[in-house]
Amino acid sequence: MGPLIPQEIITGQWDFVIALLIGGAFGFILEASGFSSSRNIAGVFYGYNFVVLRVFFTAMIVAMVGLLYFSYFGWIDLDLVFVLPTYLNSMLFGGFLMGLGFVIGGFCPGTSYTAVAIGKIDGIVFATGFLIGVFLFAEGFPFYEDFYTANDLGNITIGEMFGISNEWIAFLFVVVAIVAFYVTWLIEKRVRKNMTEYKFE
Amino acid sequence: MNKNYLFLAILMILLAAGLLLVPERQNYQQIKPEKLMWDITQTSRFVTVDQVAQMIIEGDPTLELIDIRPAKDFEAFSLTNAINIPLDSLMKPDYQDYFGIEDMNVVFYGNSDIKADQAWVISKRMGYNSIYVMQGGLNCWIRKIIQPVEPEESASQEEFDLYQFRKGACAFFTGTKVEAPDAGKTGIKVVKRKKGTAVAGGC
Amino acid sequence: MDTKIVKKQQPKYINPYFGGILLGLLLLAAFFIAGRGLSASGAVKLLVVTVVDKVAPAHAEGNAYYSKFIPADGSSPLYNWLIFGAIGTFFGGMLSGAIFGRLKKLRVEHSPKISARTRLIAAGAGGILFGIGSQFGRGCSSGAALSGTASLSFGGLIVMALMFGIGYVFAWFFRKLWI
Repeated sequence: MGPLIPQEIITGQWDFVIALLIGGAFGFILEASGFSSSRNIAGVFYGYNFVVLRVFFTAMIVAMVGLLYFSYFGWIDLDLVFVLPTYLNSMLFGGFLMGLGFVIGGFCPGTSYTAVAIGKIDGIVFATGFLIGVFLFAEGFPFYEDFYTANDLGNITIGEMFGISNEWIAFLFVVVAIVAFYVTWLIEKRVRKNMTEYKFE
Repeated sequence: MNKNYLFLAILMILLAAGLLLVPERQNYQQIKPEKLMWDITQTSRFVTVDQVAQMIIEGDPTLELIDIRPAKDFEAFSLTNAINIPLDSLMKPDYQDYFGIEDMNVVFYGNSDIKADQAWVISKRMGYNSIYVMQGGLNCWIRKIIQPVEPEESASQEEFDLYQFRKGACAFFTGTKVEAPDAGKTGIKVVKRKKGTAVAGGC
Repeated sequence: MDTKIVKKQQPKYINPYFGGILLGLLLLAAFFIAGRGLSASGAVKLLVVTVVDKVAPAHAEGNAYYSKFIPADGSSPLYNWLIFGAIGTFFGGMLSGAIFGRLKKLRVEHSPKISARTRLIAAGAGGILFGIGSQFGRGCSSGAALSGTASLSFGGLIVMALMFGIGYVFAWFFRKLWI
């Protein structure tokens, strides 16, 4: 049955309308959860606001378990779903830079769009910086083109990488998530008690 | 701790655990035994060596010849543009991309019919269609195309026409062979089925 | 949740777990409908490609990275799922801001312990780092980490683990920015 667009069940004309709608829902959920505030986001690194972890992790396990169930029921053909290819070296480096950018800038691209939408100048600056960063990367691309494509493991799934079935991986994620929710709840209570001058935006 | 959260957490864990307990997905869409029985008895699953010769000469792009003999025999002699998949490796994942390509007709051949028939049954079981067997295999090929027998005087016009065709085909194949030991690639490339005709995806 | 906060108008946010479930279902829907997850960084990349192509087409063609995203048939690189998704994200955020009363005048949000200027410099620097990193990582937090890991990609897992891991490692050095 699914995915619908790659199998032409929904024609290409609707493609972009759907993109708009999905993006719209994405932006709405992000902003409504508090991701338009960089201080909320950065809170995950300091323990005073774990909204990032809660939303992120919940979304991930819901989608993961959901995908596997859909596949089991035959509602979706996982071979046609885009699985991010793995370029080991490049991704390790990219993750490193993004981690730094995350903790310094307090945004990620998607959340910065919502911040811009509600009038946050630091969101605008972040988005501009992001644009510049992409430009810089592209200009310097010839220098590290080999590094960029090094170690191409293809569209490998986590289960294939570790030799465990993907269902177990999903289960593991859920367990880790639940534990993380509980632990961070405790941490957040403690940290907030000590931060008397913390105020919301 | 809010009771609701506890409930949700347990629900989530149960759902995930449920994933572990459900049986493995089937990878192949298995053909029904009745259908297989029907398909086996159809003579249309055979193609004659003449038909194959015709398709090669015309450069028919839908023809996908698969040689199921061992690699050594394939290297010694094979038909134009044939791919070699030894029978015992037929189910290997690497070779699956050669099947299920839209509009392509797969024709198995071996020295005789036996192995090719086995390949046919196996691929039908794996759910592929447009699978054929070259009747008589290479033995028949040699006998009819390469060394065609002139029909007797009293034979019908059709048989004479067939003989003419075979002689022409013989010249085509053996002639080409002399010039280019590469079994004369007529430029038809067999394309492997693309994994996921799907999305480009990504950011 | 009772915490000692300065009594101010508390902004209304939805329950994060609820938001997470919604987001997960949205992601699932995206996979089901379009076979791909959510992504935000791709739109900016395409924007950069379009601009460079307009301003210096020869350079764009010559560069191995730009040329990948310039469609062969001459249509604009902006005619792409990612762009519309990003536009949608922007307006979705705006809608939510309007509903929850966060659509206010232009402002810089920063910790009371630093100046607005510091915050802006940090935002800019963070943005540049993230921009470069997202290209190496083949996606950003929503594209690679969230959608990637949800589709069980190993690469997605790596990006997510590193992004948060490195964030935690360096958090102490940048604590002045936030707390």
